[in-house]
Amino acid sequence: MNRRTAVKGLLVFTGGLVLLPSCLTREGKAFIPLKHLEVSAEEEKMLGEIVETLIPTTDTAGAKQLGLHKFTLKMVDDLHSPEDQKTFMDGMEAFQKMTKKQTGNSFVECSPQERQELIAAINSGKASKEVIDFYQILKKHTVTGYLNSELVMTKLRIYELVPSRYIAYYPVKASTKN
Amino acid sequence: MAYINVDSVKQRTFDAIVIGSGMSGGWAAKEFTGRGLKTLVLERGRDVKHIKDYPTTNMMPYEFEHRNELTYEIKQKEPVISRCYAFREDAMHFFVRDSEQPYVQEKPFDWIRGQQVGGKSLLWARQTQRWSDLDFEGPARDGFAVDWPIRYKDLAPWYSYVEKFAGISGNNDGLEELPDGEFLPPFPLNSVEDHFKKQLKAQYGNRHVISARCAHLSKPNQIHLDQGRAQCQNRILCQRGCPFGGYFSSNASTLPWAERTGNLTLVPHAVVREVIYDEKAGKATGVRVINSQTKEETEYYAPVIFVNASAFSTNQILLNSTSSRFPNGLGNDNGLLGKYVAFHNYRARITAEYEGMQEYATDGRNPAGGGYIPRFRNLHKQETDFLRGYAAGFRANRSMQEDTTGFGAELKKQLLNPTWGTWKVGSHMMGETIPKEESRISLSKEQKDAWGIPLLNIAIDYDENDNKMVADYHAQMEEMFTKAGFTNIQKTDSKQAPGLDIHEMGGVRMGHDPKTSLLNKYNQLHACPNVYVTDGACMTSTSTQNPSLTYMALTARAVDHAVSELKKRNI
Ligand SMILES: Cc1cc2nc3c(=O)[nH]c(=O)nc-3n(C[C@H](O)[C@H](O)[C@H](O)COP(=O)(O)OP(=O)(O)OC[C@H]3O[C@@H](n4cnc5c(N)ncnc54)[C@H](O)[C@@H]3O)c2cc1C
Ligand code: SF4
Repeated sequence: MNRRTAVKGLLVFTGGLVLLPSCLTREGKAFIPLKHLEVSAEEEKMLGEIVETLIPTTDTAGAKQLGLHKFTLKMVDDLHSPEDQKTFMDGMEAFQKMTKKQTGNSFVECSPQERQELIAAINSGKASKEVIDFYQILKKHTVTGYLNSELVMTKLRIYELVPSRYIAYYPVKASTKN
Repeated sequence: MAYINVDSVKQRTFDAIVIGSGMSGGWAAKEFTGRGLKTLVLERGRDVKHIKDYPTTNMMPYEFEHRNELTYEIKQKEPVISRCYAFREDAMHFFVRDSEQPYVQEKPFDWIRGQQVGGKSLLWARQTQRWSDLDFEGPARDGFAVDWPIRYKDLAPWYSYVEKFAGISGNNDGLEELPDGEFLPPFPLNSVEDHFKKQLKAQYGNRHVISARCAHLSKPNQIHLDQGRAQCQNRILCQRGCPFGGYFSSNASTLPWAERTGNLTLVPHAVVREVIYDEKAGKATGVRVINSQTKEETEYYAPVIFVNASAFSTNQILLNSTSSRFPNGLGNDNGLLGKYVAFHNYRARITAEYEGMQEYATDGRNPAGGGYIPRFRNLHKQETDFLRGYAAGFRANRSMQEDTTGFGAELKKQLLNPTWGTWKVGSHMMGETIPKEESRISLSKEQKDAWGIPLLNIAIDYDENDNKMVADYHAQMEEMFTKAGFTNIQKTDSKQAPGLDIHEMGGVRMGHDPKTSLLNKYNQLHACPNVYVTDGACMTSTSTQNPSLTYMALTARAVDHAVSELKKRNI
């Protein structure tokens, strides 16, 4: 990561979340302050790689750089019921076990190829319910977080705070329907 | 008060007192100050200055900690207010939380309150329709409540008066059931809304879809520019407070106007506990107020008092204003104060899809929200097995949709390249409910709030008439949707508690007869004519229209009356 993108990533962060990527947190604990979830630094790192597999860096920033794994943790921590949080945590553990069993490694240690294969299987429903539940929660927040990120809203799919117009009959190509 | 300093009394004496600075109180303030009366507005909440005190107004979605969603903790702690669609991160600071001001729900009631300068006028959805005589004559024709002491002709000039100043966009649709008004250009219906309109016209003749009439400056007139307001910029973030003053609120319109006269004294943090009744003088002389911060008690005096604290809070104040002349609450000789309250039945919804009009979408945003279907049931005579009827909102929208099924580079591409989805249509019901004696609010005998005021006890429920109306709405809308070619029709009954409609009304109803009503045709208490009630508490019946425009018109009319009565020394 060059300095420019690093700075850009940080700016994206300060947009809304006041998540301090603090280096002062206790070792082993997740870097982001959570009230309910017990997430280790290692798990946080793993989540970073999963979201990056979901929305990878291309010519524009991917999910990891946008901090969507931390965003997901914060959303699960603040918005979800204790039951849903348990579903997420149990599923995350099941995911880790599954990864280890299938590859002999942790997700972070897996090759990009292996990561693709693991996620492809879960994405097409080929995994235990626990793992799928976890994956869906993670994917949902990653997608919302991405679409609502400063990068997307200001550069890629412009969100207009002040549209100053309402066109009731706006012609579109009929073929845009898929 | 142990010791009354004469100078201090003079300082606390005004020509008029207005309790509450929301939608109706703002109008009372504007009208009194505009006629040269030194006016005191007492507001229990904090001050909210136009623009300056709209902290979230220019925030981008990603600047909200939870992307505008409610946390689990808040939903658990504040279940009632969390059910209001507008209580989100961007406008939370303008709502009262359950935990801050409890009330007693003898039956479930979602009491949605906005207590600050401007009240709920900051938060409203800005839908505005006039009543017609079909509404004012409702109780008399159908034999419920009591006859309204006024008719459309009494209010028509005042509707015009407030519409011109507030700025209402809409069409003159020429409908007897929904009188025309003084409108700014309408926000047009989109292709599918128009399609539905044409279908209804063709298939029924007497069912209409019109552009929703709303309090937005689609094209401001000089009077609006003079208020410091500008054209609506189609943001639809109105609940945050609008930096353009594009929609009507007390904060953007009536209160600054009143302030400019030099006749306004606005006191925030002033919780009115009761109206003071002077037995010797035989009238109300002022109000007793507690400072919400210091708990210090103060009295203010004026020859005329307007109670505009919002429907149920107004009832609470009057019920709590006891004296040996009025042991059961001010003006309450007949024991009806707090009774015959009602609301709007918002339980039913219907949604569907439309495969047509693929060549159109919409661009930008429509502040009016779409279309409005005026009441068509039981209009001129009784034709169903339930009384009265319902109006309905109707809107069609087509949005860009992203396919989220994949993952990786493919998912990213999909997210960044959405395509037009199909048209979705939806409607919600706004049903008239019947005020009944057993629907009542009263003061709790045991519990008091932090300011020593008894808590309000609310006992209101749906009845068979409401259930029948829900069923009829579903059946009729389904038929209309089917005829219009809509598919995948889904009907829902939210079973939401009364109150979430935020159109609670009554308790201090108007009427001809002091034996069966509290207020006369000018909104004066029959038994204490220098006290006027012009917010939702005065409503004899509820009709189907959104109520606030009628409160505004009644208020302007009542101030006009009060000023002339003061001049004639009748009050
Ligand atoms: C989300 C939402 C959407 C809505 N949509 C619409 C709509 O589309 N159309 C429509 O017509 N209406 C709508 N309404 C309802 C509308 O806001 C109310 O009808 C209107 O604001 C009522 O005016 P009011 O003056 O009676 O009360 P409010 O505007 O509520 O003002 C009352 C004021 O009195 C103050 N007060 C209360 N008690 C005391 C006391 N003891 N002492 C001193 N001050 C006191 C309060 O703090 C408050 O500021 C909506 C409301 C909400 C919240
Ligand atoms: S829609 Fe109009 S009134 Fe509402 S916030 Fe936007 S500009 Fe203001």
